[in-house]
Amino acid sequence: MKKLRPAGRRSSQESSPRTRLAADIGGTFTDIVAFDEKTGRLLLGKALSTPARLVDGISNGMEKAGARFADAEAFLHGSTIAINTMLERTGARTALLTTEGFRDVYEIGRINRPDAYNLYFRKHVPLIERALRFEVRERITAEGEIHVALDEASVHAACDRLEAEGVEAVAIMFLHSYVNPAHETRTREIVHERLPRAFVTASHELSREYREFERCSTVVANAYIGPVVSRYVRGIDERLKQSGFEGSFLLVQSTGGLYESHQARTQCVRMLESGPAAGVIGAQALCRELDLADAVAFDMGGTTAKAGVIYRGEALTTGAALIGGYAQALPVQIPMMDIFEVGTGGGSIAAVDSSGALKVGPKSAGANPGPACYALGGREATVTDANLVLGRLAAERFLSGEMKLDARAAERAIREHIAGPLGLDIIHASDGILRIAATAMSYAVKAVSTERGLDAAAFTLIAYGGAGPLHASAIAREIGMKRVIVPRAPGHFCAFGMLFSDLRYDFVRTWFTRLVDASFDAIEKVYEPLIAEGRKALAESGVRAEGVVAARSADMRYIGQEHPVSVDLPDVVFRRRNRDALKRRFDEEHLRRYGTCAPEENAEIVSLRASVTGAMKKPSLERIARGGRAPLSSAHRGKRKVYFAEPGRSLATQSYARESLRAGNRIEGPALVEEHASTTVVLPGDRLEVDAFGNLVIEVGRRTK
Amino acid sequence: MKRARAKQRVQADAVLTEIVRNGVIAVTEEMKTNLMRTAYNMIVYEALDFTVGLYTAEGETVSIGLGLPSFIRGMSETIKAKLAHFGKDGLEPGDILVTNDAYTTGSHLYHFTFSLPIFHEAKLSGFACCMAHWTDVGGVLGGVTTDIYSEGLQIPIVKYAKAGVVNQDLVDIIRMNVRIPERAMGDLRAQITAVKTGERRFLELLERYGRENVLAAIANIMDQSEAAARARTRTIPDGTYEAESFMDDDGVEIGKPVPIKVRVVKKGGEMTIDLSQMSPQVRGFYNSGATTGYSCAQVAYKCLTSPTDYPINEGSFRPLKVILAPGTVVSAVKPAAMRWWMTFPMTVVDTVFRALEKAIPDRTIAAHHADLLVCLINGISPKDGRLFLAGIGPSGGGFGAKMNEDGMSATVCLNDGDTHNHPVEQMEAKYPMLFERHALREDSGGAGRYRGGLGTEQVVQALSAININVQVDRVHCAPWGLAGGHSGAGNQVCLRSGGMEITDLPNAKVLMKRLNPGDAITLRAGGGGGFGPPEERDPEKVAHDVRQGYVSRDIAAEIYRVALDAAGNVDRKGTELLRRQ
Repeated sequence: MKKLRPAGRRSSQESSPRTRLAADIGGTFTDIVAFDEKTGRLLLGKALSTPARLVDGISNGMEKAGARFADAEAFLHGSTIAINTMLERTGARTALLTTEGFRDVYEIGRINRPDAYNLYFRKHVPLIERALRFEVRERITAEGEIHVALDEASVHAACDRLEAEGVEAVAIMFLHSYVNPAHETRTREIVHERLPRAFVTASHELSREYREFERCSTVVANAYIGPVVSRYVRGIDERLKQSGFEGSFLLVQSTGGLYESHQARTQCVRMLESGPAAGVIGAQALCRELDLADAVAFDMGGTTAKAGVIYRGEALTTGAALIGGYAQALPVQIPMMDIFEVGTGGGSIAAVDSSGALKVGPKSAGANPGPACYALGGREATVTDANLVLGRLAAERFLSGEMKLDARAAERAIREHIAGPLGLDIIHASDGILRIAATAMSYAVKAVSTERGLDAAAFTLIAYGGAGPLHASAIAREIGMKRVIVPRAPGHFCAFGMLFSDLRYDFVRTWFTRLVDASFDAIEKVYEPLIAEGRKALAESGVRAEGVVAARSADMRYIGQEHPVSVDLPDVVFRRRNRDALKRRFDEEHLRRYGTCAPEENAEIVSLRASVTGAMKKPSLERIARGGRAPLSSAHRGKRKVYFAEPGRSLATQSYARESLRAGNRIEGPALVEEHASTTVVLPGDRLEVDAFGNLVIEVGRRTK
Repeated sequence: MKRARAKQRVQADAVLTEIVRNGVIAVTEEMKTNLMRTAYNMIVYEALDFTVGLYTAEGETVSIGLGLPSFIRGMSETIKAKLAHFGKDGLEPGDILVTNDAYTTGSHLYHFTFSLPIFHEAKLSGFACCMAHWTDVGGVLGGVTTDIYSEGLQIPIVKYAKAGVVNQDLVDIIRMNVRIPERAMGDLRAQITAVKTGERRFLELLERYGRENVLAAIANIMDQSEAAARARTRTIPDGTYEAESFMDDDGVEIGKPVPIKVRVVKKGGEMTIDLSQMSPQVRGFYNSGATTGYSCAQVAYKCLTSPTDYPINEGSFRPLKVILAPGTVVSAVKPAAMRWWMTFPMTVVDTVFRALEKAIPDRTIAAHHADLLVCLINGISPKDGRLFLAGIGPSGGGFGAKMNEDGMSATVCLNDGDTHNHPVEQMEAKYPMLFERHALREDSGGAGRYRGGLGTEQVVQALSAININVQVDRVHCAPWGLAGGHSGAGNQVCLRSGGMEITDLPNAKVLMKRLNPGDAITLRAGGGGGFGPPEERDPEKVAHDVRQGYVSRDIAAEIYRVALDAAGNVDRKGTELLRRQ
């Protein structure tokens, strides 16, 4: 396997590359952020994504940012390639080898019907059809003992079929391989020998947790996207080399942690949610800098809004995620940033249904045809159209004037589809659309925090993405949050977040043990190889980390329960080998999340988790020039009439150019702050202050009704 | 000026109605979250055997957080019974009412139902309610029961708390009568948390938007749901439609079928579902109460007229009339045995869909396996020498085909919704059993122009001695097809005992059977019925099914009349020939 030159190995000459590049490829745009360590400056570039040759999008963005690969010591990358390959089903022809008697586990799934009264309900559609799922004679028990030895002849027989079928990728998943992977390992060897060009992956390499359907779905997803993703990563690698790049090429995982490109080429499924995860990492970095403990990272774009939670300085992660909507989801059982999605974005369509009810979303006009005001053929009324009608967007300054918005088209859409049918004027109709959208998003944010036993009202809302700053203050009011922060360049925030990521390797071992029976020696025996493996992966990444941290946690539950909760095991608890302290931490965590605990009941360990982190050098946030209390007059862009639900009429509202604001400037709502790809709405009663780093910090006014 | 103001009020209504709609759904979702996360037993948080909801001051449904889809009517009727019992004047802030009376909830005694009257500025403004299935309420373990008294503790309609003070006597009585009191108290606490969450969040809505406005918005939501359901009902041709089917037996009189008869009268914007001709209540524990009779009709009606209309609310059911006669299997009276109440109603709902075959062939569905396919297990764990209670299942079965779509395979029955099965790896880690197989049943989907979904098969071997109880039905009344479609395979249970395969059980009920190490039980969930004549199925689809192993070559030739070549491709000429015969 190819090794990249370790970062920082060069002698520190004048010319030594000190730039860190980050590229986030989204559905519409490729965002580039370049950080120059010498000057502490950030360079930004945004270019249209080029679906056919994604790498070209990166080069275009680099040009716009004025950055060069040859100057860079690290190239950090997040991409939608993995998730799109899975959702659009454009992956490889893939086969599954599994335990005899169980080839249908992947199709049977968990048998649930979330839409209970819908006779047209559909369950998940496997990525591998039944004809390509083959059984192998072998069986291991829950204790890891060999019940039926691996029949290698049956593996060879399956390989004959794989050759005949011309498969490009093979997933291997045997029952209880999380305890004893011997049969998977041996089968992998045979398949690799027989089909040397195929992408081969075994379930235990990705997940050492019980739950056969989920582990199967994980390894199948990895196999299915494997050839496409590894080709893509290799393509960028080659392009980087051609451009004279000699640094480290690192990709963002769904945890927000980084891994090296050769690791990404075999463990492809770990980068499914890389872009959104990086946004949360950015928000976490902001929290650290601003000394905030708890925040919701809120990213609203054209079709959806996404949010992650930062609690006591840590971004919350989850052990598994459902990919592709709840009802038809394919589960992926690997650690991920805990991100939830709401079907409300700028393009969400508002409509009056046949019973007279006004609905907003989840249907979206997307980027094409887009809202009516884009004048690209969209005729339906969207959230963006409502923002324009109410005066919150400036028709002539959208994307710095690169795209003119058609206010008449927006008015027409709202009148025809909403105001007319409901007997309203277009202002009240538009206001209604925004209020419904804001309450719907606020319920979603509240729900996600309640599920985790947290109270969102005590959190700060960090809003980014093109549409986040437009709605953040209204959402915060609904929830009762007191502060909103709009970071600099909210449209580039995910790429920005990558600059704050660390190398990270996650490991899980299912290890069913009653706590009273668990000795710390035994626990240590489980952790030791995990952490050693993490350190090894770190060493192999070729990146010189500034420090290595191993964090341990345990999934625990009361005996008899099903759902475990994850409990952190800080070094102090671990080193003191105090089982009672461990139990107390579990009781406390249970109390926090669920509102109850049962200290008198026994608990058991379900799985042990370890993450090994190699700290990367972080940029320090750039400070902007200081100004007075009042913004410079050059920041004024004039007043326009903007309607606000409170006080229920249009107010003459000043709008400001964000790039002309200075640290210390204060603005009282109502006001608008405009920048290239976003507009921040400051509601009447809100107070905005520009902090030393150029963030807009809004103290949210109280709801008057 | 006046006009403008009037206009503005209408506007507030449309927007506020939508905000309140999202609001009440958020309230019941949060109730659900809090219940699931704090409940102690797996039946609640894995099988989702619970229902939470918000109700008007009269007990009408405002929003339900599912839960158990077939309990759609259970809490509304229970609140109305409680209101009748105490009267509005008999309720005060801080009260929490409870009952598990089977003839009120219409189900079994496991369903403890708590209701909290919500007072806003001293005015009764609604109810928050929560039903959850407890692990144990006493009564006999295993076997079949023939009256309610053998099924456990009965709590009439009483106050669990009066003006904020908990009735400790009641709690003590419950603790004494259930097998695992700590679990029961854990579930009780979770239910109290849920109804209090509902109260707090509903009051927030009332405070924020004003009580009268919110109640007006709720009235609006119901009117809109009613209008939608009525409009959909109008599109069903007027007429009287009937259908029947049967259950295998009641577990006592083995081999004696239990008739299921339904009549649907559709006139204008209204539908009447008449269940008065159902079998009289039976001796075995398969009875349910009148509340469940209503639920059967409401489930069928919702599936046909407003399947994805949320929140689930009373308005959707205003165009529906239900006729029940006292003392049938879905309107049983004391002391009918009710423990396995959930099985028959699924077949009742399927039979309503069958009745509408001619009226709305494009909207109805062929029959499904209609059973949870559960095997209850108890035994002494070889690991710690303690009694354990476990269950295999629910198992996925096949759903019926529709006029334009194949049925879903391996899906939980109509009684349940977002219920998950248990991972084999978890079952084997916890209990002394080894799964030999978990697979789709080939050829179990009913043949048709559109094919029924496939059922599943599980073969489970005992690793130490265990006792099993299986109460499965619908072996003999296989899931029927519609419009010329064939039946799917029925449910089936087989045993391996002392090395002997037992495949000829008279039904699928195995009560109090002991399995020794090496013995095994096989649970086979039926497939769905087909839709339309099988010889009209697209031959390419048949070839696909054969390639995937969903359908055998023999069935392809004999039933679908499709000829395939050696490579499995459609032989056009051969197929034409077969289909002409």
